[in-house]
Amino acid sequence: MMINSQDKITASQAVVVLANYILATGILTLPRTSVEKVKSPDVWISVFLGGIIAIIAAVIIVKLSQKYPDKTFYQYSQDIVGKWTGWFLSLLIIVYFFTISAFEVRIMAEVTSLFLLESTPTWAIILPFMWIGLYLISSGINSIARLFEIIFPITFVIFLLVAFMSLGIFEIDNLRPVLGLGVMPVLKGVKTATLAFLGPEIMLLLVALMKQSEKTKAVKVVLVGLTIPLFFYVITVVMVIGALSIDGVVTRTWPTLELMRSFEIPGLIFERFESFLLVIWIMQIFATFTITYFAAALGLAQLFKKNIQPFIFGLLPIIYIISMTPKNINDLFKFGDMIGNAALFLFGVFPVLLLFISRLKGGKT
Amino acid sequence: MWEKILAYIPELKVFMQGFIVFFIPYIIFKLFNGIVSKQEMNDDDMVKIKGQTKPNDELEDQTEESSQESFDYYTGNYNLDVGLVKKEIGHNWDVHFREFHIGNTDIRAAIIFLDGLSDKELIDKHILTSLMGDFSQKDELESLYEKGVFLQSFIKNEVLSVSDITEEYDVKQSIGKILAGTTALIIDGMPNVLMLGIAKGKSRNIEEPVSEALVRGPRLGFTEMLSDNTALLRQHGENSDLSIINFQVGKCTKKELVIAYVKEIADPNLVEEVKKRIETINIDDVAESGYVEQLIEDNYLSPFTQVQNTERPDRVFAALMEGRVAILLDGTPFALIVPVTFSMLLQSPEDYYERWLPSTLIRLLRYLAAAITLFAPSIYISFVSFHQGLIPTKLALSMMGTREGVPFPAIIEALIMEVAIEILREAGLRLPKPIGPTMGIVGGLVIGEAAVQAGIVSPIMVIVVAITAISSFAIPQYNAGISLRMLRFVAMFFAALFGLYGVILFFLLLCSHLVKLKSFGIPFVSPTVPYRASDWKDFMVRMPLMMMKRRPKMLHTKDSSRQD
Repeated sequence: MMINSQDKITASQAVVVLANYILATGILTLPRTSVEKVKSPDVWISVFLGGIIAIIAAVIIVKLSQKYPDKTFYQYSQDIVGKWTGWFLSLLIIVYFFTISAFEVRIMAEVTSLFLLESTPTWAIILPFMWIGLYLISSGINSIARLFEIIFPITFVIFLLVAFMSLGIFEIDNLRPVLGLGVMPVLKGVKTATLAFLGPEIMLLLVALMKQSEKTKAVKVVLVGLTIPLFFYVITVVMVIGALSIDGVVTRTWPTLELMRSFEIPGLIFERFESFLLVIWIMQIFATFTITYFAAALGLAQLFKKNIQPFIFGLLPIIYIISMTPKNINDLFKFGDMIGNAALFLFGVFPVLLLFISRLKGGKT
Repeated sequence: MWEKILAYIPELKVFMQGFIVFFIPYIIFKLFNGIVSKQEMNDDDMVKIKGQTKPNDELEDQTEESSQESFDYYTGNYNLDVGLVKKEIGHNWDVHFREFHIGNTDIRAAIIFLDGLSDKELIDKHILTSLMGDFSQKDELESLYEKGVFLQSFIKNEVLSVSDITEEYDVKQSIGKILAGTTALIIDGMPNVLMLGIAKGKSRNIEEPVSEALVRGPRLGFTEMLSDNTALLRQHGENSDLSIINFQVGKCTKKELVIAYVKEIADPNLVEEVKKRIETINIDDVAESGYVEQLIEDNYLSPFTQVQNTERPDRVFAALMEGRVAILLDGTPFALIVPVTFSMLLQSPEDYYERWLPSTLIRLLRYLAAAITLFAPSIYISFVSFHQGLIPTKLALSMMGTREGVPFPAIIEALIMEVAIEILREAGLRLPKPIGPTMGIVGGLVIGEAAVQAGIVSPIMVIVVAITAISSFAIPQYNAGISLRMLRFVAMFFAALFGLYGVILFFLLLCSHLVKLKSFGIPFVSPTVPYRASDWKDFMVRMPLMMMKRRPKMLHTKDSSRQD
């Protein structure tokens, strides 16, 4: 099916899609990556600032998409900058999307084989994951949005539960002094923090897939949809640094999980809470994986003006091969940084340019 | 730089795996599509043949265009007509012919009726009495004799004191009706045959259904007679909008099927969809409402039921008030309710008859029980086989201690116990009443004890399996319980392969399937999604009645407020 004209989502579903997309690997790695850059406990301020920058970029993207309410980026980019440039730009974005899919899958496989399934080969972990993603995508955006709506409350509840349980080992002194080293370090961390908020680019497609009456609410969608991850990330960073202190954080690859491991509540039958966090984290990664997979498949379908089904199947081996390319976890993180930089460029710079050009061309098409 | 890029190209093994990633789902997809499209091709042929049948509106003119070869029609000639009928069914032992003259005239008449099914009281007291009265005064009668149609309308309008009369001119149709219990009246000179009365078959008392007994609530249950069932619905209270529309289903054995809905509440599109689907039913005999259910559901490959069935009229009526449509079939006490959503499978009418606080807690308990039914064995297997480190230390030590001598890995152990329980359960259904429950207890206890003593399974396994079995009985709907029981085995296999990750994958797979499922256009997972706070009042909790003022939005009802 092409975009089935009845397969639309409501504004609240769009919020959930956006929030689930953004919440991915950041929860586990953000404390470490940002402290590496900032070297002071003021990372939460960087995260705030990063979130605000992301909101600004998202609003620009939404404004651009609202100019062409029924077309996705792949379709209207050709209207703005001409057929071939638009085609090429869309292709870049498609490559970005499926690269992110591959990256997410690989990170999930790494964490799972580290914490849950020590001796299972990586391909055995990735294959069923991708197949379930395939099964979900083939029924369109509405099903995807509904699944996200199911896993979102679960994530929310368990995350808050786990975060507040760590109050036991939380020491506020680890976060002090606030702005002790001045403002400069904070600004250095903003770039890393913004990368954790990668996700608003999905609005390039989502506005076209929203129900007619809800398209005007797209800006609100972005605001709410970005505030939720902002809230999550700030709590994560505060809790992790508060409990482990910045020295502890930089030496651990997955500080959040270590945090969960390090406390215990006497008397409760359940001891190892990191399994809870892993459960919701795997579901979140699944969400990110499916939505980017869908975005890439949809893009290809619209570029080549065909049905989406063959592209869904065709992308499977490509994503798999890309995900198996990094040889170890360091390579993987470098890969992630590369993607992040590309994203900043693609989604920070281009939408502004395109918005400008479309304003020049004048009015709604 | 080239070397650097080359170094990153993955080895051939990865490409092979990539090919497998693509290949396996592709094959499955093609197979599946092949099956489904073949099915649709057959359906299309069927629908083309069926093209002519239209739904009937009220119980009046049943002049269906027959797709059967039309046999003969009734002439006005008495001998011919009676001869036609005798030829068709005269050989049956239970078909009786009673010939007489219309009182004091020479006009011959005959009634044909079926022993056992026909309403003897109607025949003796009303039909024969009214026809054998004194007609000799009416000289018009003799003249009417010539003009058959007037004779018919005279008899019908002025003579017969019977409430149900239909006219029939097709021999085959009338014979079908005679064999179903209606009495036929042939009068010399009348071009048609009059079908009088309705069958008065045997039916049992109205008692509470065994499978859905409640502590509090009306002790009424549907019976096998369709007229009793519709009467129960109408008896619920005075409702001028309750519409009951009938259809006939089955090619060889025709049965009456009735759909019921409240005109001012139900979504007209839904009613249309139900009617359309019932018309596509093409089978020789619709034995039970289960056949109707399987022939009209959206997705026959799904493990979940998309049509709810019940024996209780109060459940049906509550559903009608929400804007759903009920389907009742003659010959079975099980009524169908469409559309169904996931939350309905875990609700019971008792939730509404008790106060909100206990009802809310019990409902939450049911959801917990459903989760336990589905996941308990798989979580046990994943923790014992894969993630021993995740179990709290003290518990881990005691568990491993008891699992010392068990020769099997956890999955085999679990499978043995689960299959044994399923066999016990199935056997328990067929045991005669006196030994049934005893057998269940004895079987459970003895087999569990003996298995533990023999060292085949560990005590923890027995506990897990027992809790799972008991939880599955807490689910009010029997067919929802079956679905969850089936899926439990799939979850166990996933857990055996991938541990906790497998359970997560299974959960995601299950949710992916559920979000795709639609029951008559309503997503199966409503009211969970999309987020509508007003629908949540009746989902996992039961808000006080004062707060539930609106009908569920997910059903797109016409009249959305329950109050004035």
